[in-house]
Amino acid sequence: MSRRRVLVAMSGGVDSSVAAAMVHERGDEAVGVTMKLLARAETGFGCCGSPADVDDAKRVAERIGIAHYVSDMAEIFASKVIRPYLDAYLGGTTPNPCVECNRSLKFGHMLALSAAWNCDAVATGHYARVANGRLLKSLDQNKDQSYFLYSLDAKALAKAEFPVGSMTKDAVREKARALGLKTADKPESMETCFVPNRDVRGFVEANAEPGSAGLAPGPIRDRSGKELGRHTGLASYTVGQRSGLGLSGPEPRYVVRLDAAENAVIVGGTDEVWSKGITVGALTWNGERNGGTLRAEVRIRHRHTPAGASIEVNGETATVRFDEPQRAAAPGQAAVFYTGDEVIGGGTILRGDA
Amino acid sequence: MTSYLDHNATTPVRPEVVDAMVPWLRDGYGNPNSVYSLGQRARAAIERAREQAASLLGASDASEIVFTSGGSESDVLAIAGAAWQVHDETKGKRKTIVTTKIEHDAIRLLGAQLRRRGLTVLEAGCAADGIVDAAELKSMLDDATAVVSVMHSNNETGVLQPVAEFAAAARAAGALFHTDAVQSLGKLPIDVKALGVDLLAVSGHKVNAPKGVGALWIKRGTRLSPVVTGHQEKNRRGGTENTASIVGFGLACELAGRELSHAGSHALALRKKLEAGVLRIKGARLNGHPDLRLPNTAHFSFDGVDGHHLVVALDLENVCVSSGPACSSGASTPSHVLTAMGIPAAQATGSIRVSVGWGSNDADADRFLAVLPKALEKLRAVEAAA
Repeated sequence: MSRRRVLVAMSGGVDSSVAAAMVHERGDEAVGVTMKLLARAETGFGCCGSPADVDDAKRVAERIGIAHYVSDMAEIFASKVIRPYLDAYLGGTTPNPCVECNRSLKFGHMLALSAAWNCDAVATGHYARVANGRLLKSLDQNKDQSYFLYSLDAKALAKAEFPVGSMTKDAVREKARALGLKTADKPESMETCFVPNRDVRGFVEANAEPGSAGLAPGPIRDRSGKELGRHTGLASYTVGQRSGLGLSGPEPRYVVRLDAAENAVIVGGTDEVWSKGITVGALTWNGERNGGTLRAEVRIRHRHTPAGASIEVNGETATVRFDEPQRAAAPGQAAVFYTGDEVIGGGTILRGDA
Repeated sequence: MTSYLDHNATTPVRPEVVDAMVPWLRDGYGNPNSVYSLGQRARAAIERAREQAASLLGASDASEIVFTSGGSESDVLAIAGAAWQVHDETKGKRKTIVTTKIEHDAIRLLGAQLRRRGLTVLEAGCAADGIVDAAELKSMLDDATAVVSVMHSNNETGVLQPVAEFAAAARAAGALFHTDAVQSLGKLPIDVKALGVDLLAVSGHKVNAPKGVGALWIKRGTRLSPVVTGHQEKNRRGGTENTASIVGFGLACELAGRELSHAGSHALALRKKLEAGVLRIKGARLNGHPDLRLPNTAHFSFDGVDGHHLVVALDLENVCVSSGPACSSGASTPSHVLTAMGIPAAQATGSIRVSVGWGSNDADADRFLAVLPKALEKLRAVEAAA
């Protein structure tokens, strides 16, 4: 087979560094690209595409001996990821920006660019695998990121490569050390890359239009409608959350639901945050599917152990019935359907069903 | 094989220049200010280079040349050095710097800094063709003007500026005149006397010498407040001289002078060929004055494309051009020069600069013209879908 040209999305972290090295090692031409995602270059925190990460990616590319470029995608990131993220919080749901970034940026705009740059594939440092156009969990189940990639379509999967998806994190770090890559021991980024100091509320406030509905205070109620306290705006809450409610009382209270129409936070006891099922919209399937019922394991947030369920598909939405109730199904998060290791589809949680 | 078409960013070092430098990196390491012969030999080599540089600029005396670390330092020494000197000599009466909106960042950022430190900095705009607005610039001159600085040619568009006219106006206002001629050196004849300037900055790496060396021509009798203090260069620029690079720069000046007319016509022929080829593409435009330009520089805009992504596409086909100045990588923000010319942001963002030089040939132009249309077509499809 002739030498292929592979665009490697390099965030400046260890996983994509090793991904680039592996593409290069097997004899293909790796072209490293770091996305510049924020308009202001001088953000003071470790965001993807901030200068320190760009420098790290550049140093790694130089060490491996491959080309590296920076691509300004701030505009499209703002419209496809940040804006929907704000709208979700303001509307009382919990967004999943990584899903959107993978769909619209890495395997959207960047995939299109890669074709214009005569690349044959796009590789990232995700922990997942692709086999025969099917998306699979990573071998290291602990690190699996297939949840964030479920919405890649067949066109994207045909071009996607995840070189570290068959490795453990330890092996990735080991390899980075062996190659002398400066990112070998770089700490993992855990937070949403564009939100400084994990301060979601602060970020939403700073970026939303003043007076937005999701920032207005309102009542905290129990399921019977009794007011138990006041909340500071729906944007500060997520289903399943316990702390930050400011409620006193003998039993712990959890957020059960965010009621945007009433601007109310509905709370309940620990037994009330469990859902027997969920309704899922914005469905994507690996293959064609419009109706019928199927069995699958459903993951409702990153690192959640997929739960056995029956899924009834009704065109645009699906009703998921769990075999056992699941805790804290948050509207806005992804629900991803697995058969064993394979991602067969997924969508966005519209609501949890009691 | 790489087709290097970015000679305004930097130039390859000529082999004879490298050869001339090597002895001064090996055995000729003496400090040129030392008494013993090892130092004296280095001193002699530097003084020969000074004559070579002076000759290319039409200077009356080699002592008017001060070697620096490059164009940016020369600009800063000229403008800050002149401004503070005049400011102090006139007890603060003359404290205005008049410059333009299209200068190199070395000057623009210096202007911002001097403004914060209490000097007045005025920037004249330019017309759509990239030529500085003479009426506006002249209207800014008065008895508070300390120094005027207008570039000889623009680094992005290559557009030539009426420097002699501005220098005469500055003189009439009793102000000093500096020109940043970094981009013109070796591409056009430069004669400091004919220009009537007081200060003129040049850089080695734009004329096939290495990076890290340049010069400021200072008209005899012009006093500057030094920026890098020390006794070297007759108290005008401190720091032990960079012998090898200065020697290389000197030789590069001599070679450039000797080959100037041939190099100019060769560059112009290549540029015309590039322009004709590019302008056949739909949605392509040439920016800047059609004729009053450096012979080697063409600046194009393309509808519906991000210039930075185009540069990457061309690089992957082994063609080097740039979008905007080399100092700004990654960020797709329109350049201040194009903005000053009134070019809309979308058009400015879709721009590339193509600049030929020593070693450029027809094959380079052909390769560029062969890969450009396909790259454009593909990238336009991406942008249209985004």
